[in-house]
Amino acid sequence: MTSVSTSRPAVADAPAPAVPRSPRLSRRHREWIAAALFLAPDALGLLVFVAVPMVLSVVLGFFQVSGFGSYRWIGLGNYRRMMNDPLFWDSMRITGLYVVILVPVLFCVSLGLGLLAKQKLPGIGVFRTALFMPYVISLVVVGLLWKFLLDDQVGAVNRAMRSAGFGAHSWLGDPHLALGSVIAITVWVMMGYYMIIFLAGLQEIPAEYYEAARIDGAGPWRSFRSITWPLLRPTSFFVLLMSTVAALTGGLDMIFVLTGGGPANGTSLAIFYIYQQAFVFGEFGYASAMGSFLVLIMVIVSAVIFALTRGGRFDDGE
Amino acid sequence: MLQHGNGAASAGPLPPPAPAAPTPSSTPSRGPSRGPSRRRLLTGAAGAAGALAAPALLSGCGTDSAGSGGELTFWNFYGPQHGPDPAANRQADWFVKTVDAWNATHPVKIRLQFIPQPLYLNGSKLPTAFAAGEGPDIFLLSPGDFLRYYNGGVLADLTPHMDKAAIADYGTALSSRTVDGRVYALPMEVEPLAMFYDVAAWEKAGLSEADIPTTWDGLLDVGDKLRSKGPAGLVFETAPGYFQNFTWYCWMWQGGGDVLDHAGQPSFDSRATRQALQLWQDAVRHGIAPRTDPAAGDVVGAFRSGQAALWQSGIWQVAAFRAAAPDLKYGVFKLPLPPGGQYTTTLGGWSFCANAQGRDPGAAAEFCAWALGRSDEACVDRMVDWCTVAKSDVAPRTSALERGARKGGYDFWAMKKFKDEVFPGGRAEPRYPPVIYKAISDAIQGTMLAGHGVAGDASRAADSIAAYLKSYQGASLV
Repeated sequence: MTSVSTSRPAVADAPAPAVPRSPRLSRRHREWIAAALFLAPDALGLLVFVAVPMVLSVVLGFFQVSGFGSYRWIGLGNYRRMMNDPLFWDSMRITGLYVVILVPVLFCVSLGLGLLAKQKLPGIGVFRTALFMPYVISLVVVGLLWKFLLDDQVGAVNRAMRSAGFGAHSWLGDPHLALGSVIAITVWVMMGYYMIIFLAGLQEIPAEYYEAARIDGAGPWRSFRSITWPLLRPTSFFVLLMSTVAALTGGLDMIFVLTGGGPANGTSLAIFYIYQQAFVFGEFGYASAMGSFLVLIMVIVSAVIFALTRGGRFDDGE
Repeated sequence: MLQHGNGAASAGPLPPPAPAAPTPSSTPSRGPSRGPSRRRLLTGAAGAAGALAAPALLSGCGTDSAGSGGELTFWNFYGPQHGPDPAANRQADWFVKTVDAWNATHPVKIRLQFIPQPLYLNGSKLPTAFAAGEGPDIFLLSPGDFLRYYNGGVLADLTPHMDKAAIADYGTALSSRTVDGRVYALPMEVEPLAMFYDVAAWEKAGLSEADIPTTWDGLLDVGDKLRSKGPAGLVFETAPGYFQNFTWYCWMWQGGGDVLDHAGQPSFDSRATRQALQLWQDAVRHGIAPRTDPAAGDVVGAFRSGQAALWQSGIWQVAAFRAAAPDLKYGVFKLPLPPGGQYTTTLGGWSFCANAQGRDPGAAAEFCAWALGRSDEACVDRMVDWCTVAKSDVAPRTSALERGARKGGYDFWAMKKFKDEVFPGGRAEPRYPPVIYKAISDAIQGTMLAGHGVAGDASRAADSIAAYLKSYQGASLV
């Protein structure tokens, strides 16, 4: 110890090392350059693959595009068409329904699983892994798997329903059931991911708080209400925001495989309708206008979530 | 305070300071045991990553549609490929053989590019390629897509490369691929629709050949009897898309209805349309027809597994039965008629097209004409081979149909029935653009699966079509 304590000042007082330095660049400048070099690949990727396509997409919304290389400026023509397109508004209505049902269900299921996964039980690791597994499977595979399970005639779900004395249903062919089926499958896929997020948030909460609450006579529900829920606020905000954005702009793969937007446009989410206009009908300008509108809706919804939850901050502003 | 990269020093007492001791970060060559500095390591890693990524990135900038070394590309959903399905392998072989024959005798070479069917039919591959100006030089096109591609200016005129005799030989089979007397696509096949039934299920339901229905009511009755024994009694296509429209048109035409009249004016909202919509709605509403395709749309698989007993499908199923279930007994009958109706069926089929904006539109058009549009023996034989050996189709050219019959290509009972009974009186699939297709599709889906009123949906679709026609600019829709 002594030698350490005596040697430290020696190092501190040592003459400045003879480091070969650039005569023109200060340490601060070198750090700036290093930071820029480290950030450049990511920034370049974002610029090329995100920012530029976004700008181009917005610009494309003001053109009539044939899908074969011809562009004609039509100003707000695509937006006017969008305002008068009942199928677009129908797809927005279905998207709204999808978001309003999916997000709370996914939130509650993931939180519940997170609370379960936090328990120190034998085999809990297997439980966590099993629940996370669907998230790592390709959505196309998930879609095909569930399409088979939900088959009207030979699907396992209808077989079980018949065995239990309930009638079989056309889960993907009945417009009253198809959207619900898609939502249930999406919850099944996503719950493992958000469970892990919640689990991380739950493990951040000090155990002493629960210990103190138990000594004070608090039951599980009171502990959840007074400790877990308030301290999970940043995590809840993250899950709410991410799942809302994902619900607004995602789901294309699943819809494409499971229902193709049917039956009777019953699962034609806005993102699927936009895809259809662009890649099936070649209406790239119109699709871009609708895409820009959807992004605007997403920004507004995100801002509302930020405002209502104060960005997930605790009440003291931290 | 420890400096980054100097963690080893904390393990023990610091060594006595050496005069002018260099900082660890600046001592890459201080001793052989220290290895490269962090900066050098990062620089090296970045360089290696860049070197590894560059080829991938640069290759991503290139195009796969343009062949290398002056080759023209031919996008299709048949070959080259090899899989467990012998029918698919035969069809792939036909494409390979055709292109090989061309390449052996022509200076401009062609390379086949296989695009999986789901990606080709409803996917983004072809539209994206054309939107990017990187469309294939030669490609397959369905009648439903013809007008969109023609109006987009990407279909090369094949007329100068064809024999006049061959054009005459095609006859009305070219009508939906012709604009102002010029041919822009060459059909390789004609695919009529009929009803297929599983003989075992038919007999199990106590039905005989005498029960083959000739009216729509009879069709629903038979379907009802068949479904009482377990399988889907009657299958109409359920998935929204061009294919569902294709299978529905004939029911509307049988009652004298049409989407557009001969002058190109909307005529969709008619009694014939409503009764055709009603037929499909009744079949689903009464549980005779399923709401989703059994066996994921695989007719042979559905018959074999007892999931379906009666299915509206096309002549291509004959080849599928022959390849996948040669021992399975099935029957075929013409589409039944509504009261006072006149027989017709929809004639589908794909065509060869040349890209007018491709690398060498002249050579691409020459290939299409050489493959299917000449009067020489080899050309006719090629079509006979495709329609009777590789696949099971009606040949679109009279000479090929006759030669195929002479060669025994239509001796098999199902092929003979299609050629002699189902095909005559058929009508080519129309070439409506997407907005019209979508309006019709929504009416079919809404009435069939959502139980909407047929009058309301027919009227709504007619209004959409009329509104679209006011601003439509392009080739004739009829």
